Amino acid sequence: MNRRTVITRFARLSASGILATICPALVGIPSALGQEVDSDAILNDPEAPTAGNPKGDVTIVAFLDYNCPFCKKSAPDLDRIVKTDGKIRLVYKDWPILTEASVYGAQLAVAAHYQGQYDAVHHALMGIPGMRISKERMLEAVKASGVDMVRLQADLGARADAITALLRRNLAQADSIGLQGTPAYLVGPFRTSTLDYAGFKQIVADARAKQAAQ
Amino acid sequence: MHRPFLAAFASLVLCLMALAGVASAATSRPADEVFRLGVERAADRSLVLTWTALPGHYLYRESLKAQWPDGTPLPLVTQAGERKDDPNFGLTEIYHGQTQARIRASGAPATGTIIVSYQGCAEQGLCYPPIVKSLDLATGALAKAQPISVLERSPAAAAPASLLSGSLALTLASFLGFGLLLSLTPCIFPMIPILSGMLAQAGEHLSARRGLALSGVYVLAMALAYAALGVAAALSGRNLQTVLQTPLALGLMSVVFAALALSMFGLFDLQLPRSWSTRLTGGNPGRGGSLGGAAMLGFTAALIVGPCVTPPLAAALIYVAQTGDMARGAAALFALGLGMGLPLVLFGTFGARILPRSGPWLVKAKQGFGFVFIGLAIWMLARVLPADVTLALWGLLAIAGGVWFGAYALIRDHLRLLPRLMAVALALYGLVLVGAAATGRQDPLRLATLLDGAGAMEPAPTAGVRVVSTTAAFDAALAEARAVNRPILVDFTADWCTVCKEIDRSVMRAPAIRARLDTITIIRADLTVYGSEGQALMDRFGVVGPPTLLFIDAGSGREVDEARTTGATTVDAFSAMLAKAGA
Repeated sequence: MNRRTVITRFARLSASGILATICPALVGIPSALGQEVDSDAILNDPEAPTAGNPKGDVTIVAFLDYNCPFCKKSAPDLDRIVKTDGKIRLVYKDWPILTEASVYGAQLAVAAHYQGQYDAVHHALMGIPGMRISKERMLEAVKASGVDMVRLQADLGARADAITALLRRNLAQADSIGLQGTPAYLVGPFRTSTLDYAGFKQIVADARAKQAAQ
Repeated sequence: MHRPFLAAFASLVLCLMALAGVASAATSRPADEVFRLGVERAADRSLVLTWTALPGHYLYRESLKAQWPDGTPLPLVTQAGERKDDPNFGLTEIYHGQTQARIRASGAPATGTIIVSYQGCAEQGLCYPPIVKSLDLATGALAKAQPISVLERSPAAAAPASLLSGSLALTLASFLGFGLLLSLTPCIFPMIPILSGMLAQAGEHLSARRGLALSGVYVLAMALAYAALGVAAALSGRNLQTVLQTPLALGLMSVVFAALALSMFGLFDLQLPRSWSTRLTGGNPGRGGSLGGAAMLGFTAALIVGPCVTPPLAAALIYVAQTGDMARGAAALFALGLGMGLPLVLFGTFGARILPRSGPWLVKAKQGFGFVFIGLAIWMLARVLPADVTLALWGLLAIAGGVWFGAYALIRDHLRLLPRLMAVALALYGLVLVGAAATGRQDPLRLATLLDGAGAMEPAPTAGVRVVSTTAAFDAALAEARAVNRPILVDFTADWCTVCKEIDRSVMRAPAIRARLDTITIIRADLTVYGSEGQALMDRFGVVGPPTLLFIDAGSGREVDEARTTGATTVDAFSAMLAKAGA
């Protein structure tokens, strides 16, 4: 096994949380992870909404809740780094854990993905400041986002099972890698929480530097 | 060669690199390590819960909850927290370090199991999901309760039903009807001289058909103006009513009406710029007013009259803003405008034949409108002026009107007795009002019922009504109300909200309703001072503005489904809501 292989394997493992067993201080979770984690499922869930550059060399997986103030705080910086960098692939994981309305918001956003409007709905919901946003207010924002509400309603009904399944999958994935709260960002092999633009920039550069070393 | 060694070495190097790279990134410790809960019985048998948060972490005051396993809440007395106001968080109260909450002995039996939940965040930028513990009251033992997955609690099926509220046809029909009702208010009066002035230009050749065409176009244009308002409402969303009801806006509208009144008294002529009128009428003088002119007049008239119909219009706009759907909002307001204009079309079509050309009647009618306009100005100012000042203004207006028309009648000796008597009566009424203002009465409408002695309306309930304006006060009131176990009415209201006052007057004090209000608990959320606290209260229930009436089930602590009223309501409609809430 040469050095390159080791690093590649390391990079792969790290995204899946096994990094924690080697380097617990970095990710700050208990080092005994007694479960198998399928990192490919986290990075490449075919139903997960994505943004940024689909062929980007760094993937950011964002675990977010629509009533999470820190998610809202870091959202503009995340958008900005994805946009300015140009080579970041962003995977959205709706992870509604804070309030009941969070689930509702996640359902609306995932349902909008079926008409290609996830981004619009996601930003509409993240754009409501505050942490106790009611379902009604979320719905208001979604309506104002220009999404086709008739289609959205149809998808919420017809694809209810698929939507719930995706959200459950996200919950299970977050559990499997020991995420504790929102927001959680997986940036290449690293895991982090709220960052500002400079923080995102640095962690993306670090992730990229490691890949360049291969 | 030396594979294991190489791998381990590489890992170490990468670890160090990674650490350097994300030194600023938050690391997350399990919520249970961050927030610790301890329980003990105090000497007075009350249950004391103590939370300790690690440095750099905090709990939300409003997240501290205790309940029975079936969901019935236990009143929890919490301590005041630090206020945190952040654009991303809104105004909240938080606890750093240690805090305590108490369940009174009466609420905490010696045995049984209760559920305690709490939620907090790390300053570094991480929010934990709610932590749920079961607490054995006998032993004080805490166990991790199976956290009810948030996802379990709201199945996807719950989402679709409320997405689109009501069918479009139904909405349009209701708005048309609403408009017809509005056309019965004095607000539509100013339209009549404007329209008749336009029709009068047609001279003697005005046919019913031409009248229909002109008034039809006029009304369509008016409806379009309202549709534009609807779009604005849908775009601007929730705060439109607040803007319409600010002292500045009300003052401006009053000035517009006062100016209109002065014009009606002949101080100046209110007319379109000459270049406009020539263009409007010049093209085809023989046929009396062009359709384009009618359209323009209709559009402007709607904007002039708009302020007068503000309260009902605001109710309609709230509805539209709530749906946030531009096309729907525009269509609904268009229907409203059509409804308001239909009587005008009738007037334009059939009234044209019998319409007297011009003459003294028009002067008198104009003066009459002048008084109506001043009345409207006072009516609007009433929302920002002290009540006794308003009452005095009403009195002065009545006296002025009485004297004006009385004197007018005296000059013309051929006038019969009746108008003079009415004028004298009006002046007398004015004197009574001024007298009443002097002795401290406040409301001209209520004064009327006092005068006739019947008092068909009961006094508003005041005992047992909790008025709150902060979320903390609301929580306290709600906890108390739930302990009483009667249906809870939450009444979002404000002093500047005229519709609220009308509901209070015509619905809440109706005998049929009044009696039932005694069987429920009322929490009045006062939004008079509009600020972040009021906004937080509104946000909690997704309320867009007052008046909003909603019910909370004392048992579950949840809002009663489909028992919410936004905007104006009637005795019957509110009665149905009361029934849904179990009152």
